[in-house]
Amino acid sequence: MQQYDLMVVGGGPGGYVAAIRAAQLGFKTALVEKQHLGGVCLNWGCIPTKALLRGADIAHTLKEAEHFGFTIDNISFDINKLVKHSRSVASKLSGGVAYLMQKNNIKVIDGSATVADKCRLDVTHKGVVTQYRSNHIILATGARARNLPNIEIDGDLVWGAREAMTPTALPGSLLVIGGGAIGVEFASLYNDLGTDVTLVEAAERITPAEDAEISSLAERSFKQRGIKVLTNSVVNFVEGAGEQALASIKGPGGEHQLKFDQVILAVGIQGNIEGLGLKSLGVKTEHSFLITDPFGKTNLAGLYAIGDVAGAPWLAHKASHEAIVCVEKIAGIEGIEPLNKDRVPGCTYCRPQIASVGLTEAQAKAAGHSIRVGRSSLSANGKALAINEAEGLVKTIFDAGSGELLGAHMIGPEVTEQIQGFGIAQQLEATEHDLAHTIYAHPTVSESMHESVLDSLGVAIHQ
Amino acid sequence: MTNEIKPIGMPKWGMEMSEGEINAWHVKVGDQVNIEDDLVDVETAKIVNTVTAADNGIVRAILAQPGETHAVGDLLGVIASVDTSEDDIQAFINSYATNSEVVFIEKAPTMTEVANESSTQVEQNPSNTDTLSGGEDDSNVSASPVARRLAADYGVNLNNIVGTGRHGRVSKRDLEAAVTAAGGRLISSNNSVPNKAQQGDDSDIKATPVARRLAEELGINLLECRASGDRGRVCKADVDAAAAMKNKLPSQVAVVAPTTSSSESQTISSMRKTIAGRLQASKQTAPHYRVHIDAELDNLLTTRKQINDANTDTKVSVNDFIIKACASALIRVPAVNVQFNGEQITHFSDADISVAVAIKDGLITPIIVGANNKGLESISNEMRDLSTRAKLNRLKPEEFQGGSFCISNLGMYGIKQFDAIINPPQGAILAVGTGEQRAVVRNGALAVATVMSLTLSSDHRVIDGAVAAEFMSVLKGFLEQPATMLV
Repeated sequence: MQQYDLMVVGGGPGGYVAAIRAAQLGFKTALVEKQHLGGVCLNWGCIPTKALLRGADIAHTLKEAEHFGFTIDNISFDINKLVKHSRSVASKLSGGVAYLMQKNNIKVIDGSATVADKCRLDVTHKGVVTQYRSNHIILATGARARNLPNIEIDGDLVWGAREAMTPTALPGSLLVIGGGAIGVEFASLYNDLGTDVTLVEAAERITPAEDAEISSLAERSFKQRGIKVLTNSVVNFVEGAGEQALASIKGPGGEHQLKFDQVILAVGIQGNIEGLGLKSLGVKTEHSFLITDPFGKTNLAGLYAIGDVAGAPWLAHKASHEAIVCVEKIAGIEGIEPLNKDRVPGCTYCRPQIASVGLTEAQAKAAGHSIRVGRSSLSANGKALAINEAEGLVKTIFDAGSGELLGAHMIGPEVTEQIQGFGIAQQLEATEHDLAHTIYAHPTVSESMHESVLDSLGVAIHQ
Repeated sequence: MTNEIKPIGMPKWGMEMSEGEINAWHVKVGDQVNIEDDLVDVETAKIVNTVTAADNGIVRAILAQPGETHAVGDLLGVIASVDTSEDDIQAFINSYATNSEVVFIEKAPTMTEVANESSTQVEQNPSNTDTLSGGEDDSNVSASPVARRLAADYGVNLNNIVGTGRHGRVSKRDLEAAVTAAGGRLISSNNSVPNKAQQGDDSDIKATPVARRLAEELGINLLECRASGDRGRVCKADVDAAAAMKNKLPSQVAVVAPTTSSSESQTISSMRKTIAGRLQASKQTAPHYRVHIDAELDNLLTTRKQINDANTDTKVSVNDFIIKACASALIRVPAVNVQFNGEQITHFSDADISVAVAIKDGLITPIIVGANNKGLESISNEMRDLSTRAKLNRLKPEEFQGGSFCISNLGMYGIKQFDAIINPPQGAILAVGTGEQRAVVRNGALAVATVMSLTLSSDHRVIDGAVAAEFMSVLKGFLEQPATMLV
């Protein structure tokens, strides 16, 4: 039986980072992957969708070219080329992970893994089962799109994220079920490319995990762009109607049946825990996710879980951070702190972009904080006006007593690149005064971060 | 720099250093170097350290290649100005070889010498500059790199300096002003202060305040310590480890028979040297004798399965049972639970069991402290953690130094039985073979049982044959009837 010091199951941003950190620390390390190194993030998630959204940005730029004096005729669009770009980026990055595995002397094992016993892994590849022994096994098997009891992804009329990022033709009309991060990104993408989009969300607002003010600005912007946003609404069924899908949508105004060329189901995700042999070994799970201690340890000796399969938030950077924490804890490095979920930033790449870190205003109040809130609208930001993207808001929430930055919420152009500033401030425990006394470069969109902090102190200069 | 030709010599970093192995050069022929630039890494029996440049100039020759071992004082390379001719360089090298011992070998520094030297060099009036030396860890004080280095030279704590640079940063000027104000004398920048590392002066070594104080108390030169602490500093554990090495406290036991089919010769690693020296001493000074016994494991395996099936978060191994059984037997037969330094026998009330763990290029013996007071689950979890960290070289000195008894288990390799060498100053070591099905005779009939062969090597100076035999018989009883360990 082959033996490793540490084995990782799953080659996504949790698993491959865990393997590299383990190898750096001197573990004899192997990584088991059944499909593509890089996982969903690189192959079917974060990265390829960003490649597609770049196409959407260009479509949007072409539309407003006239405003800047350009007349562009005869614009044509071949969605196959855009998809090809997206796929080539994914495959390049997956190759990059393979290189990193080789460089760090990590054995990559192809196949599906099952935890056969404590500290034992069986890997099945093309019908052949190979047995491995390892004192430490980290599960990083990720998650996948969840189906609804009455609506399932069939790859034909009803797409999941995978089909939605590899279309062969642009649908004329599209129903997106689910107004979370994935749903609004696809709604924004297809709207920019020219599809007639309807977005349905069961909660009272889209992007329900974000601060309510941000959600309402996103909804207003989406509606201005011609996206039909139906909140407090559910889709009762979807059925085939010729080439189209007939969907029955029930909302505050009653139930209506509407036809769409295509449906995207984006109602959340479930953990990939099947086939791992967890049940027979008594490993504890909850709603398809593994239960772990703050350092990723499960209730089975020598078994750990990180990333999506270990529960929310389902974000690549959370998985990578948990990977480091878990491996360093196993290695006995002192002073390891568990991941602080209040410091995990979230980014949504719709137009305008949304980015946030920490508590929403409602959460901060519910947690009993006495708070000070600052707001800065991008309509007062010179750079945003210059690039004709002056739609947006920076909202900051501070603890009134300690001055701690409890949360920051942004909507606007490239805010996903700006949120790191607030993330660093939180990690360094900066107060509102530290942020207020920082010099922000002019002219930048991120000056609004400064304005927002000043506003929380009641001394905003430009509003 | 004048036209002088300067040697790069093999330094002497401690009393015991007689030679060093070239690890890697940081420069190549033709490179410009300045004073204190890193030149070459040299590995000794104790440390890997870097030889730095004593002068400015151009590296004109490199005479020692990585992997080679050179005696203290040997010429490793030559630094000279750009306009020195090749002939002159060659002549210097030739003449150096003949008088190198006279020219280069430095007096072995001792801690007191170093301390005296630096105090006369730096401080006119030590009591005055003392006012600058105290204080908390100054590694977070904002200071220019130059000021920080000078502060180490002067023995000044940066917390005591008022910075006037940007953002209150301590500049070189601030530091020199403070030293002068406190009555100290400035180190002249152009005097020929010899390379400190070569002198054994460890004041430039980055170390935690605790490590520095401990090193002083234990008489350890910080140059002899690894720097495994945060930001590359020598930490307390590194000083402890160096002290342990120096005092020849046992930590490693070699049980791997060296065989090689290739004819390539390699210089052995420092760890291998330590293992070789200590085990040779053990074999030569401790009169070893062995007693051997077989134990049937079927009851133990059943108990183990019951425990593991009932507890998801535990994976007790056969070895964990052996640790527990040895601990119980040592309490029952305390005459085996001893250390012997050649003159005194030390008896222990608890069984601290060293367990040999194979690691890259050697082996180490982490300790389950007080195994007699611990349950199987905690022994098992502790052992998994210790062996994980042993393989990563992350054990703290106190986790592998000491121990009152040692276990070496080669059963996982299918070894039926073997003898082990005692891990001094312990009195005995148990060699554990594989558990295998064997034919046994019971009441005149053949039967099949899972049997394990155990061999105890004891130091006859302190453990007599009957005592060893009693220990093994008690151990066999615990292994064959594991429930009796609960009593």
